[in-house]
Parts: sequence; structure tokens; C-alpha cells
Amino acid sequence: MKQLFSVKSLMSVVYFLAGMVIMGGIWALIAKITKNEIPTPLATWAVFKDVMHHPFQNDADQKGIGTKLLSSLARVSIGFGLGSIFAIPLGLIMGGSKIAMKIINPMVQILKPVSPLAWFPLGLAIFQDSPKASIFMIFICSLWPTLINSAFGASHVPQDHKNVSKAFGFSTWKYLTKILLPFSLPHIITGLRLSIGIAWMVIVAGEMLSGGIGLGNFVWEEGFNGGSTAKILVAIIIIGIVGSLLDKCFTWLQQKFSYAV
Amino acid sequence: MSQTSIVAAKQDVIEIADIVLEQAYNPPKSIEINNVTVNFKTPKGIYTAVKDIDLSVKKGEIVSLIGHSGCGKSTLMGTISGMVQPTSGEVYANGTKVNSPGPDRGIVFQNYSLLPWLTVYKNIYVAVDSAVKDISASEKARLVETNLKMVNLWEHKDKLPGQLSGGMKQRVAIARAFSINPRILLLDEPFGALDALTKSAMHIELLKLWNLDNREKTIVMVTHDIEEAIFLSDKVVVLNNGPAATIKEIVDVPLKRPRNKKDIVHDPKYMEIHDRLLNLLIAKFSIDDEH
Repeated sequence: MKQLFSVKSLMSVVYFLAGMVIMGGIWALIAKITKNEIPTPLATWAVFKDVMHHPFQNDADQKGIGTKLLSSLARVSIGFGLGSIFAIPLGLIMGGSKIAMKIINPMVQILKPVSPLAWFPLGLAIFQDSPKASIFMIFICSLWPTLINSAFGASHVPQDHKNVSKAFGFSTWKYLTKILLPFSLPHIITGLRLSIGIAWMVIVAGEMLSGGIGLGNFVWEEGFNGGSTAKILVAIIIIGIVGSLLDKCFTWLQQKFSYAV
Repeated sequence: MSQTSIVAAKQDVIEIADIVLEQAYNPPKSIEINNVTVNFKTPKGIYTAVKDIDLSVKKGEIVSLIGHSGCGKSTLMGTISGMVQPTSGEVYANGTKVNSPGPDRGIVFQNYSLLPWLTVYKNIYVAVDSAVKDISASEKARLVETNLKMVNLWEHKDKLPGQLSGGMKQRVAIARAFSINPRILLLDEPFGALDALTKSAMHIELLKLWNLDNREKTIVMVTHDIEEAIFLSDKVVVLNNGPAATIKEIVDVPLKRPRNKKDIVHDPKYMEIHDRLLNLLIAKFSIDDEH
């Protein structure tokens, strides 16, 4: 607790607030220049409060912003979870075996640069269902960073560690659990962090296309089609905050699993 | 007792005495290196690290391999540990041909090679768990405890290697090698990264461990420190410069044990051996003065 209230942490709060004030100032200036075509921060705040009125309302015709957010998060979690379950072992195999690397790497190199949105119609064709198609899209796009980082980790196990395994006659299982996995873990988490970032970016676009309940749908239907620029801004802010919180979670994991050599 | 049985008993005693004396004068060979050559394939072609090496080490002996950097000391030691396969010739350890590393040979690596994500205790435990078969988990735990206490690190057992000093890390590495109770201990420049004071303390520590075990372990050590080699060893093997390094000379160190770090340097025999090794290893002792 002592550290929490130190001068240093107090100053970082001050700097954070300063940043927010500058951002708000630029925003207000833009609102002024566009003659309130872009609503002012205060006007947006009023809409925000209104939107937040019944956040978890879940009626057939009326859904709260919280319900939409959770629905987006659920889709991201499923797609990202499935992608990670698939990408981590495959990445470790790639990193562990030169032959596997040579076979899998060309596929990855070809598929990786494809825009996540291009996978959406394919998902739609496969599943005949737009929410499933957006999960498919998240799945595909959260594969690559995890796969590549896991493979990098597994292929860079230091010779010293391998020697220990050889000298003391580690079984394959022991090598995997005591050397390969712990060494690769920080790299895997870096991959997961990049993947969740992409997944969160892509879900908004996916929901705009799919029209399911979610934040993307909120931006499109209630914001743009509903003629409320303030709602678009509210959605942007929520998406941004949630995205940065997701990133924070993985940064925390990264720190937890890094080790001094 | 009849006359014949007394003669037979006498005969038995003599035979037993013969065996005992034979073992005392000629302890069994612990390591045999026969005509070993090691080649490595490199992008520039074949590189011969060591060539035509013959060496035998008796049980309970401490032998140092000394030579300049890159002369193939570590490679030669790798053939004993089984980490390096000789291109030709063969190596026998404890009477069997070496094909791969085995639990009869404990290795202490140059840079400690502890696993940074495991605590001191677990670092040793995983090694014991893998190398020592047929004993229960509690016996394994006891082995780890005994060996950690032996190097005075029991109170640090829950620390990660990153929280230890270099000397402590090296003690963990030594405890790990001892805990699998190998008959041969192989040390690859074990004290190279330590400061002079820690190094001296570690020399005593190593000899203490060796003594506790009735001097039954054979120790082979790679080093480039002449004082260290003399203080610890019974034999110092001097290698020529690589590539294709051969044995230049094997220098015996007939100094009595236990050796005292302070007194030994004044022993004329020590000085003689020290000079001999310096001569073998260093070509020039001063700069040429130009007049």
C-alpha cells in the first residue's frame, strides 16, 4: 500500500490526467471548428449518461450498451480462445522441429497477410450464420501472432538448457514441461497480447458486417444510421477503454511470467 | 586344524592381500580415452578440434585439462560426458563405452546452466528425479536436502537462480551434479566466472565434498588457471593449441593432501610444477627491450 501512494504513482496519475485534458481540449477545438458537426465532449457526456441509463437492458427490441459489450466480448473470447488452443501447440511444434517449421511456415506466410474481413464471407459460406462467421473471423486473425511468437520461443531454447536436459536424462515430458514450455511462455503471452489486440479491433468491423448484437452494430445502427455522431464517439471511447484494459491484462501476465536469468 | 587346511587358509590370505594391494597400487581405471579424434562440420569445411588423444584416469583421481582458449579442452571433456561424439577412437567411463550422457557422470557446466524459472530446490529435484531411478519421492527429496545443506544453501532453497550471486549459483550447480551421486564428476571451467576470493573458497568447498565422499569420485576439470589446476589436481593435462590439439604433456602433481592454500605456494615442489606449467603454456615472459 505504501507504494501505491508514493510520489511517483501520484505523479503518473497527474500525467495521465494531463493527457486526458489535452485530448479533451483538442476534441473541443475540433467540435468548435466543425460547428458542432462533431459534438463537444460535454454533449457527448450527456449522451454517454443516457446510453448508460440501463446498460444491461436485454429486451427483444431494446438492448443496453452493456449487453452489447458483453456480447462482443463473448464472441472475441470464443474466437480468441479457440485460436489460442490451436495456435500455441502448433507454434511449439513449429519451433521445436525444423521440418515442421519448413512445412507450416509457407502456409502461415501466405495466410497471415490476408485481411481478417476477407475471411468473413468464407465463414458465412461455411456456417450459414453471421455470429458464427464473426467468431470464425476472430479465430483466424488471432492465430498468427500467437503462432509466430510461440514458434519463436520454442526455437530459441538456449543450448545451455538443452544440455541440462541431456546431461541429466530428462524424459520428453520433463523437457516439455520444465524447459520448453517455461522458456516459451513469455513469448506465447506476447503473442496472445498481440492477438487479443487484433481480435478486439476486428470484432467491431465484423459486427458491422454481420449485424449481430454488439458494439460494431451499435456504432453502425444507432450511431451512423440513427444519425447520432455522439453515439459513435461514445462507442469509440468504450471500445478504446475495453481494448486497453484487455492489453493491460496481458501485460500483467507478461510481467508475472517473466523471470530474471 | 589339519596341516593342509592351514596352508590353504594361508594361501587364501595371501590371495586376498594380493587383491587388496593390487587395488591400492593400481586403482581401477575410471576413464579411458583411446585414440580419440573429434571433427566438426562447419560451413568452411571440416574442423578438427582434438586429435589422437590417449588418456587414462584412475578412480578417485582429480585431473585438470589445461590449455589456451579454443584448444578443445571442453570438446575433449564432452567426449567423456557423452555430449560430444568422437569421430574416431573411443571413450570408456566406469568400464562401459560412452555413447551418450548418463547418470554415472555428473556435469557442472561453465555457465551454471540452472533453469531460471525453477527454484534452487526444484532445479536439483528435477535432475535427481530424472537421473536417479528406483527410489521413492521422499528419498529423492532427502537427496536434494542433503546436497543443498552440504553446499550451505538450504536456507536459499526457495530462491530463483536470478536472486543468487555467481558463487551461489555455482554451488547449486555442484550440488546438482553431486546429488545424482555420479562416480565421475566433470567440471567445465567451473570457477571461470567467479572473482578470485570466491574462487578460492569454492576450491576448498569442492575438495571438502570430495573428501566427504571418501575421495572415491573421479573428477575431471577443464580450466585455464594454473594455480587452480595445481591446487586441486593429481595430474595436469596440458593441451597444445588447436585446431587439432593433442596432449603436450601430462604433469604429475605429487603434493600431499590435504593441501593448504596458504602453505602450498611456498612448497618448492609446487613452485617447480608451477614453473613447468608456465613454460608449457606461455612462450614469452616479458617484452623484448629494444636498445
